[in-house]
Amino acid sequence: MTAVPLWVRLPGTERVGWLRTVDHKAIGVLYIGMGVAFFAIGGLEALLLRAQLATPEERLLDPETFNQAFTVHGVTMILLAVVPLLVGFANYLVPLMIGAPDVAFPRLNALSFWLSLVGGIVLYFSFLAGGAPDTGWFSYAPLSERAFAPGTGVDYYILGLAVNGAGTIIGAINLAVTILLMRCPGMAISRVPLFVWMTLVTSVLILGAYPALTAALVMLLVDRQLGGHFFDPAGGGQAVLWQHLFWFFGHPEVYIMVLPAMGMISEVIPVFSRKPIFGYGFVAGSSVAIAFLSFGVWAHHMFAVGLGDTENAIFSATSMLIAIPTGVKIFNWIATMVGGRLRMTTAMLFAVGFIAMFVIGGLSGVSLAVVPIDLAVTDSYYVVAHLHYVLFGGTMLGIFAGTYYWFPKMTGRLLSEVLGRWHFWTTFVGFNLTFLPQHWLGAVGMPRRVFTYAASTGWGPLNLLSTIGAAILAVAMLIFFVNLVRSLRAGEIAGDDPWDAFTLEWATTSPPPPENFSSIPAVTGRRPLWDRKHPELRDAP
Amino acid sequence: MRPPADAIGTLSLIVGAIAILIFIGVEGALVFAIWRYRASRHVAGEPATFERNKRLEIAWTAAPGLILAVIFVLTLGTMAEISGAGVTPAMRIAATGHQWWWEFSYGGVKTANELHIPADTPIDLDLTSADVIHSFWVPELGPKMDMLPGITNHLRLFARRAGSYEGQCSEFCGIEHAWMRIRVVVQTQSEFDAWLGLQGKPRTTVETAAEKIFLANICVSCHTVRGTDAKGTAGPDLTHVGSRATIGAGVLENTDANIVANMRAWLADPQRYKPGALMPSVPLSNADLDALAAYLVSLK
Amino acid sequence: MIAVRPAVATNRTLLGVAIFVASESIFFLAIVLAYVAYRDAGLATAKATLDIGRTAIFSVALFASSGTMAMAARAESGRWLAATIVLGAIFLTGQGSEYARLLGEGIGPGSALFGTTFFTLTGLHGLHVLAGLVALAALAAANRRSRRAVHPVAWEAVGMYWHFVDAVWVVVFSVVYLGTLL
Repeated sequence: MTAVPLWVRLPGTERVGWLRTVDHKAIGVLYIGMGVAFFAIGGLEALLLRAQLATPEERLLDPETFNQAFTVHGVTMILLAVVPLLVGFANYLVPLMIGAPDVAFPRLNALSFWLSLVGGIVLYFSFLAGGAPDTGWFSYAPLSERAFAPGTGVDYYILGLAVNGAGTIIGAINLAVTILLMRCPGMAISRVPLFVWMTLVTSVLILGAYPALTAALVMLLVDRQLGGHFFDPAGGGQAVLWQHLFWFFGHPEVYIMVLPAMGMISEVIPVFSRKPIFGYGFVAGSSVAIAFLSFGVWAHHMFAVGLGDTENAIFSATSMLIAIPTGVKIFNWIATMVGGRLRMTTAMLFAVGFIAMFVIGGLSGVSLAVVPIDLAVTDSYYVVAHLHYVLFGGTMLGIFAGTYYWFPKMTGRLLSEVLGRWHFWTTFVGFNLTFLPQHWLGAVGMPRRVFTYAASTGWGPLNLLSTIGAAILAVAMLIFFVNLVRSLRAGEIAGDDPWDAFTLEWATTSPPPPENFSSIPAVTGRRPLWDRKHPELRDAP
Repeated sequence: MRPPADAIGTLSLIVGAIAILIFIGVEGALVFAIWRYRASRHVAGEPATFERNKRLEIAWTAAPGLILAVIFVLTLGTMAEISGAGVTPAMRIAATGHQWWWEFSYGGVKTANELHIPADTPIDLDLTSADVIHSFWVPELGPKMDMLPGITNHLRLFARRAGSYEGQCSEFCGIEHAWMRIRVVVQTQSEFDAWLGLQGKPRTTVETAAEKIFLANICVSCHTVRGTDAKGTAGPDLTHVGSRATIGAGVLENTDANIVANMRAWLADPQRYKPGALMPSVPLSNADLDALAAYLVSLK
Repeated sequence: MIAVRPAVATNRTLLGVAIFVASESIFFLAIVLAYVAYRDAGLATAKATLDIGRTAIFSVALFASSGTMAMAARAESGRWLAATIVLGAIFLTGQGSEYARLLGEGIGPGSALFGTTFFTLTGLHGLHVLAGLVALAALAAANRRSRRAVHPVAWEAVGMYWHFVDAVWVVVFSVVYLGTLL
């Protein structure tokens, strides 16, 4: 069977086209496309920021433009790039992995994509409507109140995030119901691929966390448009209420961003180690523990707000606690590799890269749980370094691993391994060069969100190094885009199961037919395809 | 009493050392696994199939837990120490954050942007904000603390050595957040007493033509110069502005050979140096600008 | 033929609505917590201006509508459904008149902290009631057109949402109105 380029023939869009499709595979691709596009835009914003900061007292960007750029960069990367990418992969893969023909509510699925996209468009429309929001991605009150942010930027922020959030919440309901009620016979919840587990846990996180953000946005809108006083001290309100609500959402949000990526590498590592995942139960269970704990750590973003030593100590304890289930996963991944036969494909390189970078990000995170250290380095470039190590070094590398792994399933063609290796190593060098120096910059006093800095501070050289790293990262992303475009057109044909993998999505064609499977496969273990291919080596029950 | 910065520094070293050990261990295991078990190294046969070990899981759950428990206990100890509990401060200074400058009040004596404190003395800053959230942070002197409108937070300062220490606002507060720098001058007790005494006095120059220019313009609607009728409070107190090391909360130096030139440049066009600052550019003749600059610099 | 009533644990639509209800509950919890956090500052105004008795009457209408909805779902009855809609509309009208009275006295979302929190909390609830009425009306219209074309789960699903809206009002009425008695 000939493989035809993606945009010419994709099951689910044949009769109705991209705009009206309700097929989870097409919607998955739409989400991924949205994520890729906004990742590029967010990346350009980052390059602008780094160009401005390369030298002290630089005047490339005026402060207003810079402040809009870092605000929109944060919102874009988190809500318009990473989350849609992860939801896109989940949409595409979950029904396939559990042997289902589609998600529970296909039309709602389409709605959630379009809402997510429209939310992003609303946010960017602000550039044309008097200025983008410029109060930071977490838009603290009272800076975000009418008195201090009189333009319409923050209102577009509120509207864009609310609409985008609605899409994400609906998507989470869909995925949760799909996983709970549409597994094929034999696919007990204890046998689903770990990516499915992570998707389920992530959906629960979304459903618990996003409403708090919606509530905060509504309150801010009431303040701004109806003269309310939720966050206005002069009127009896409190600025800190915004922070509590926002971070009650914001902390689970970072796990929403990392757990699915952890699910991805939990699929990639076993296949390229040719061993089952070590400690399936513990990897699954630890993600439940993380989800539970993630609702109890939010005030570690607020240690310097003055809540008091007792409150700070409690959140310090819970924040340290949450490091334990995270560490458990890392040990289980390494144990999966021990005794295996490792094929270092590009997907595997990125998976290993995830672990290596996430260890660094995790360690800096634990240091931030130590209140006195946090009081020194919070709101500085140390935190910027930490968050990029876990979200780029972690999540993005995981997404790249997933891309190289599942691109063949989605398109019928393999990505180039040669270009892939260039992509990986250039990313690795560029990423570390960009963000490693920022730990030191923060420790010696450079705060976040500054459009420039005095020459007398001596922060110039490390900033320049960081900017050079960003330029290298840009080259890495170019290599990736070239790989994507070339492979879509003329990549090597993949076949059903190019990696000799374990799970059900590889038991159908690449790309799968509209109904996913021509016959529902029998499932008697966690590696149903492996069991079918190698019955003599099937897993012990 | 130990300076808070020292206490945090010690804790950072301990946590950092533990982190490095863990880093070496885990990354080492990762690198080892890749090298040892890469497919090119082995001949035929299927790989191992072990996929669980309860004892191992318990071990590598308990071990980090233990390490974290130790770190947590150390954390509690340092938290108590840097909060300054049990040590009464010799002095309380009220610090108010404004967009984009600092107001300091020593029992009613007001100054701006430059904080003077005596060495070897525990001091409490009472922190609040006149508008949005700011954060007071001088890294060499200790932790940071946010300044919120409607709330008073406290920060213990304790500096061992005399000298000049730099810091910066550490909570994004708007367009000129980057130029809200802090200078803390730590002095001997006698030097500090002399400085505070001087700050408490009204302006030392007699009324001059230059001062009349100041009083005739809108400067007075935002600024105070004690001893005159200028009583504005929206902007920094200028009674002793000439004695400060910088202008505009750090955006221009006030101590080099061009001391008057810098002040003049600022007055002529503050928006050029701090775009978005709430101080407008007031159209004045060149002669008036020269006189005004010289006048302000003379307010030592 | 004995019809098996669809259950939350096995029916996709019902599970989906149940999960949605759980998520919306967190949304309302956040707004209620903000109200409670700010309660002291606005208590005097609340005591002076809120009319517990009148609102209780309209609340009874809403609570009764849950009962009529349950009857409607069990029997797939257009009549009980109509009663539900009427009772729901009575509640909203009552809310509207309460708003009119307060605004006439100069209490609105921008006036003082009590106004902000009161109008936000009850207003958001009112919007959810309105959405519920729309769903009920859609169900009623579909039922009028062709009874058999309406899947049994639709009655249960809309009913579940309606009971949720009712339950939220139990909490809001207690916290806001009955709370002034404390």
